[in-house]
Amino acid sequence: MLFMRAKATLIKNRWRYLSLLVGFLLFVAPFALLTRAVYYLMGNVAQPTLHTICLRMPIDWIFGAPYRLAGSVMAAFVIVVLVTSIFFGPIFCGWLCPVGAVSEGISRALPIPDRFRLQIRDTKVTVGLRYGFLLGFIAVAVLVGYSIASSQFSSICCRYCASSVLQNLTDALFGNPSAIEYWHSGSILSLVGWLVVGGLFMAGGRGWCLFFCPLGALSSLAHRVGARLGFYRVDFDPKRCLDCKKCSESGPQGICPVWAIKEDRTVERTLCINCKECVNLCQSGAYSFRRGWNGAKQAA
Amino acid sequence: MIPLNKKAIIAFVTMLAITIYAGAYSSALSRSEIVHFWVAVPAGNVTSPMVARGAGPPINLAPISIDLDRRGVLKNWLSPDIEAISTHWIYNVGKRPVKVQMELVNCSIPVKWEVNANFEYNPDNHTFTQPLMPGQSIPNLGIDWIFQIPAYYMDERVIYDGGLMIKDANTGALLTFIPIKIVRGGGETSGGASCCS
Repeated sequence: MLFMRAKATLIKNRWRYLSLLVGFLLFVAPFALLTRAVYYLMGNVAQPTLHTICLRMPIDWIFGAPYRLAGSVMAAFVIVVLVTSIFFGPIFCGWLCPVGAVSEGISRALPIPDRFRLQIRDTKVTVGLRYGFLLGFIAVAVLVGYSIASSQFSSICCRYCASSVLQNLTDALFGNPSAIEYWHSGSILSLVGWLVVGGLFMAGGRGWCLFFCPLGALSSLAHRVGARLGFYRVDFDPKRCLDCKKCSESGPQGICPVWAIKEDRTVERTLCINCKECVNLCQSGAYSFRRGWNGAKQAA
Repeated sequence: MIPLNKKAIIAFVTMLAITIYAGAYSSALSRSEIVHFWVAVPAGNVTSPMVARGAGPPINLAPISIDLDRRGVLKNWLSPDIEAISTHWIYNVGKRPVKVQMELVNCSIPVKWEVNANFEYNPDNHTFTQPLMPGQSIPNLGIDWIFQIPAYYMDERVIYDGGLMIKDANTGALLTFIPIKIVRGGGETSGGASCCS
C-alpha cells in the first residue's frame, strides 16, 4: 500500500523530480553546467562548484557588507532567485535547489516508519522557527559586518554550510575520495542537520530548508508579497475539499514537503515552495496553481 | 498578517537565540578549525597583528596560532588528525606588479594544497603565473592547506612551527611571511578571520 502510494507520488510529480535532477546537474560540480557556462562566458578560469552560487553569503552581505554585492555572480544569482519568487513563488527551492533535492530525496526514498519522523503540525510554530533563524542570521551578519561585535561573533553562513557538505560528498562520489577527508565541527553539524535530522528524520525531508536556509525564508517572504499582488500561487478552494485529510499526511507519500498546509487546509505562503505536490495529488482538485487578482488577497 | 500565538513566539525566540549562539560558537571555532586569514604583499615578516596599507583596501594580518585542543568536541572526536587553514584573499598593496609564489616553510608533515582561482596557477611550484597588479586581489580565490597530522605527532606539544612565505617569482624577493604554529594545549589561538567577510 505504502509502496503504491509512493509510486503514485513519483509518477504525478515526475516533472518536479526531473527538474530537481536538472538543478543538481546545473549547479553541482563536476557538472555545474550553468555556472560553467557563466564562467566560460565571463572568461573566468576558476573551477565552478556549488559555491559559485552560494545561497547564503550574498544574504549575509545584504545586511552586513552591501559593498560586496557589486559585480558578484553569487549576488546576481540570489537576486534573480528572490525576484522570480515574487512572480512565480520560490521555484528555485521547490524545483531546482540541489541541497533541498538531496535531503528530500533521501527522506522519500528511505523507508523509515512515520512514527520516527518529526513533523510540526502547527504552521505558526514552523513559521516562528523559520523566521527566528532568519532574524538571527541577519543579526549576526550586522554584528560581524559592521564590527559591532566581530570578536565575539563570526558569520554563520560558511561555518555551517550544507552546500559545502553536498559538494564534498559529490566530489568523493565522482572520483575524488579525499574531498571528504577533512571535516570540521561546523561541517559535521551541517551533515547531521541537513541529511540526518532534517532529511531522514523529518517528514518531507526539507528540515534544513525550513529552519536553516535564509534564502528559502526570504524567497517565501517574497512569494507572500507576490501572491498578495496576484502572481502565481497555490490556492485552496474549500468548496471542492472532501476533507480526506491526505494533504496533511506525512511520510514518503505525504503531500507537502514543507508542512505549508494549515489546519484549515489553506496554504501558508511563508512556508510554501510552489512545488505543486498538493495540486497534483489532491483527488478533489481543491488545490490549484493560478495567478490573477481573484482571491489573491484572501489567499495571501 | 499571521495571527501570533504563544507557541509561535516561543519558537521564534528560541530559534533566534540558537542562531545567535551559533554565531558565537562559529567565532570560537574560527580560531581553531579551518582558520581563515588574509594575505597582503608586500607586508614583510608579520610578527604581530598589523594592518598593511597601500594600494587597495587596508588588510589585517596576524601570525596564526592554532591550539588543536581548543577545537570543537565533534571535531576532536571524529576527525582529530586533519586540520586545515584557508585564505580567500591575497592583495597586492605595493606599488609594482608581483608574481605570487607560495611556500610552507619548515613543514615536515604532509600538506595537501587545494587551490582554485580565476588566475593562472602552476601547482608544481605553487605560483600564480599571472602578475598581480597593485591594488588588485586574486579573483575568486580559495586556497586550503590541509595538514594530515601523523599519529605520532598528535602527542607533541608543538606539531608545526613554520609559516607561509610569499615571494615574487620573478625576483625571488621575500614579500610576506606569516608565521603559522599548530600546538596542543596552552590555549594560544590567533589570526582567525570570518570566512565570509
